[in-house]
Amino acid sequence: MITNSTFLMYAAGGLIGLLAGFLMHRSDYCVAGMFRDAFLFRNTFMLRSLCIQVVATMVFFEIFRTLGLLPLYPFPLLGFASAANIIGGFLFGIGMVMAGGCVVGTLYKMGAGSVISAVAFIGLLVGSAIYAEFHPLWASFVKTTQLFPSAKTLPELFGVNPIALLLPVASASTLLFIKWHKENTIIRPSEVKGYIQPWKTAVTLALLALLSYVLIGMPLGITTTYAKIAAMIESVVIPNHLSAVSFFQLTALNITHPSTGALLQGGPGPQIDSIWVIQFPLIAGIVLGSTLSALLLGEFSIQYKVPSMQIVMALSGGVLLGMASRMSAGCNVWHLMGGIPILALQSLLFLLGLVPGTWVGSKIVSRIILGAVKK
Amino acid sequence: MSDQQTQKLIEIDMRGQVCPACLLVAMDKLNRHREALKEGQERLCIKTDNREATTTIPTTARNMGYSVTVTKMDSFYQICVGRSVTESRK
Repeated sequence: MITNSTFLMYAAGGLIGLLAGFLMHRSDYCVAGMFRDAFLFRNTFMLRSLCIQVVATMVFFEIFRTLGLLPLYPFPLLGFASAANIIGGFLFGIGMVMAGGCVVGTLYKMGAGSVISAVAFIGLLVGSAIYAEFHPLWASFVKTTQLFPSAKTLPELFGVNPIALLLPVASASTLLFIKWHKENTIIRPSEVKGYIQPWKTAVTLALLALLSYVLIGMPLGITTTYAKIAAMIESVVIPNHLSAVSFFQLTALNITHPSTGALLQGGPGPQIDSIWVIQFPLIAGIVLGSTLSALLLGEFSIQYKVPSMQIVMALSGGVLLGMASRMSAGCNVWHLMGGIPILALQSLLFLLGLVPGTWVGSKIVSRIILGAVKK
Repeated sequence: MSDQQTQKLIEIDMRGQVCPACLLVAMDKLNRHREALKEGQERLCIKTDNREATTTIPTTARNMGYSVTVTKMDSFYQICVGRSVTESRK
């Protein structure tokens, strides 16, 4: 809808990011923590909010698709499912728990002054650069393990109208949410200043994903730009090497937006292209939104005295996250908050790998942290 | 007066640490010092800048039967578990 104006794209992305970062800081909306705490502490409170977000997104997308407002469906950059999505999801799960936050959690925590998350962010860039080196090998693995060559979503696979599958899923989930509401397990008291109940953040994030899909043509995604930033650094430090890496020459996005006729083109290379214009404002917005929230609460603080083992763990986790987001063709935000709502096969497989991955990650993290305490 | 002198304060500073270090370490301390905390000989105070921990630690500790206070300090929160001798006398 606004794809023919670079300024409006920057503005929309920036504002969506600001609001998302602000809310995520207030609710401590950490996806890595949601899965981790379910395994480590049997605490599923935050995971319930994630379920609400996924189903709310599903409903919003489907209403707008039915109204003809989502001409790009399934959205661009979504590929065919393969075994790579499961493996990538698994490594992503380990990585995000070790890094203490997913690709977005890292951003909002860094925005509030976390040194650990800043280290994880550096890891994310390094991981993206490492992936670029073995991309040709991985790309051939993706090709040989491709599962359904004719369908990107479950409704396409079954040859049915999306609503036939989405309506039962959304209805059953709504009944479950009503049950949670009656049991009073969706909200919780908090003594923290400026707390926003996570379900409110969940629904707002679903609306922001919809806004992004309607305005820009796809839901929220950020990780290709991590690879891009890595490429930008390489273009300054090792320009000759950069031009030899095939991954950085790819044009992953190459579409004409049907409602504006604008050409959206871009890839992980170091150039400023549509991917940068779509994703970078979102990244900057999330960091700044969280900084703003923390400053307003008087909670912005930078703590350097952190156990060195945790720094190493966050860096390794970040590297794993950066690699895994490229290996699985998208991060948790892309798959869980964009793909699963349209029952994308890639995203369902990503989730299948992610859950055991977070379990393994939780085991590693608790062992490292408690091991350091006992010493 | 004698109670006040004998109560030992265990202070841990978890500011800046990776999640879920705060809750894990708090639970570890709660388990190890269970007797002393229950009897009021010790009191555990944790400094944290993790917003989530200000809910999860009190919930866990209260389920274990402790009294908990959460106080917003300068740019962080202080969570104290166990009876405060001075407070209980008021």
